[in-house]
Amino acid sequence: MKDNRTLSYINLFAILGAIPKLCQECDEARRLIENDEISIGFSVKNGPRATLIFDKGECKMVEGIEKCNIKLSFSKPEKFNGMIDGTVTPIPSKGFTKIGFLLKKFIPLTDLLSKYLRASEDDLKDEKFFKTSTLVMFYVITEAMSQIGNQDKVGMFSASNIVDGIARITIKGEESAYIVCDDHKLKTVHLHIDDYTSYMEFADINLARALFDGKVNAVSAVGLGNVRIGGMVSMVDNLNRILDRVSYYLA
Amino acid sequence: MHKINDYTKSREYFIRAEKVIPSGIYGHQGPAEGCYIPIEAFPLFSERAQGSYIWDVDGNKFIDYMCAYGPNILGYNDPDVDEAAAKQRKKGDCTTLPSTKMIELAELLVDTVASADWAFFAKNGNDVTTLAIMTARAYTKRKKIIFFKGYYHGVSPWTQKIDYSGIIEEDIVNNIYLDWNDFQAVEEAFEKYKGQIAAVIGQPYMHGNFMDNQMPEKDFWQKVRKICTDNDTVLVIDDVRAGFRMDIAGSDHYFGFEADLICFCKALANGYNVSALCGKEFLKNTVSGMSYTGSYWLSAVPFAAAIACINKMKKINCPKILIEKGKMLKDGLIASANKYGYDLHVTGIESLFYLRIANDPSLMLHQEWIAECVKRGVFFTNHHNHFINASLTEKDIKQTVEIADEAFSVIKNRHS
Repeated sequence: MKDNRTLSYINLFAILGAIPKLCQECDEARRLIENDEISIGFSVKNGPRATLIFDKGECKMVEGIEKCNIKLSFSKPEKFNGMIDGTVTPIPSKGFTKIGFLLKKFIPLTDLLSKYLRASEDDLKDEKFFKTSTLVMFYVITEAMSQIGNQDKVGMFSASNIVDGIARITIKGEESAYIVCDDHKLKTVHLHIDDYTSYMEFADINLARALFDGKVNAVSAVGLGNVRIGGMVSMVDNLNRILDRVSYYLA
Repeated sequence: MHKINDYTKSREYFIRAEKVIPSGIYGHQGPAEGCYIPIEAFPLFSERAQGSYIWDVDGNKFIDYMCAYGPNILGYNDPDVDEAAAKQRKKGDCTTLPSTKMIELAELLVDTVASADWAFFAKNGNDVTTLAIMTARAYTKRKKIIFFKGYYHGVSPWTQKIDYSGIIEEDIVNNIYLDWNDFQAVEEAFEKYKGQIAAVIGQPYMHGNFMDNQMPEKDFWQKVRKICTDNDTVLVIDDVRAGFRMDIAGSDHYFGFEADLICFCKALANGYNVSALCGKEFLKNTVSGMSYTGSYWLSAVPFAAAIACINKMKKINCPKILIEKGKMLKDGLIASANKYGYDLHVTGIESLFYLRIANDPSLMLHQEWIAECVKRGVFFTNHHNHFINASLTEKDIKQTVEIADEAFSVIKNRHS
């Protein structure tokens, strides 16, 4: 059963947290916010709190809501999750004068994010779209892994079996994400780290996409040499169990 | 310099297999679970086997230290075991009425295994570990089971964990996981779940993966034995992996205690398909009343093979010679590692040794070394304990150490 609180962490840090990545990869997204200096704080009671900061075409997410211009508060995780799936319309508790940004920029931005995350077969025929979509998806998945490892009951069991260290997950020729495990707490890092304890590497972006879409089995891919694993393999093994939960939550 | 193996045909067969078999090769003999790192260093399919050797489909010969993950204890195609099996096959194997070979084997196990008053037969280790837990629950009318972390007791849902695919919370809700050698935790669990613990199940020592294997601390098993007795809890020893490689009378006997139930498989019949649950008299009626059987469980050929295997193991004092051979290999490997400045840990009993180069905690250096050994014809695996068999010769051990030495030199040069 999906845990609403865990889902709210995924929705905030992995889904909305991918907006900065979308703005990096997608011109259309960047153009939407190129003249804006504004921040939106999301506060979920008994759940996550974070702020999206827009700064003239660049965007980042920080934990906490201390520096936001617009504040969206949610009484429980289910309400926040409802905003993400479009069944709840949020009302700002701060920043009423900036509601235009929410309507004219933020909502189109999230629509664009949906377009890339729930891509149609036709859109994916475009090489650039395919790449952006897959890289944003990679960002979402690797962020969601940490949220599930820290919040979901089953994910936390997997994390309890992970030794301290850093797992590198790579799409060869594209980019890497690093999952840092410290005392069974996980944190996803998207900056380069030299030393890592274990690795899982997808042969190329096409293979990564096929794995994300469930068209290829990861265990078979290891046998074929299309997925490389190594180092502290128990770490990879437990992260893969968390990865199984990602598809369950994001389905 | 030893030749480097080519695995072209293995690769081709894997592509063919992957189309019609989930994951190509599933389970512990598959490249993912088997930690074949990198995949290019390892063969995937065998052509034949003899004694201590396997030949893959590309014709490469290996000194095999996995022994089919344990069953090969006397040497592949041992003539005495094969002859006994062949004779029985002529008479009958899977038939409507069981052969009296079943009685002979049970009598032999009762006479051989110190804690055994009876024997029940099945096919795989998982069959008998599951029967052991069912027996403990049936006898005690309790639900909870204590496990020691790092365990492997098979693949039935009760043996798996909440985050394994296909497992639901109800499958494992009565499992209690404790750290190996932590008797205080055992005491606390017995206090917390007073009157609720059906069984404690453990392998004779901790032979988990990705870490050095750990022997029981002094009196650990004696204390566990006593707390089980005091609380009417059944003590189960899973001797599927270590059985007959430590002590012909059972690994509980090696450590000086008696299990209530003890599980055997792997080495029981030198590769013929049979497993056994042996137990104390007071549990015999409980097992008698259980519904537990399988289509091939009473087949006579594996019984005949097991009788021949046990008799030969007793005749040659198999555990002793396996430990001696393992010691010789261990000394050679450690000396070679030291030459290159590597701290090779060889842990567990020598007949069932586990390898780890401790210089690199990420294990990547270790994986490089194992790969170089395999490419040159010594079949080690990265993160599983290894198995010695009785047909292994001093010449094999010498050649293994030579190849290991060359592999150490390769990784030393690579990283200098």
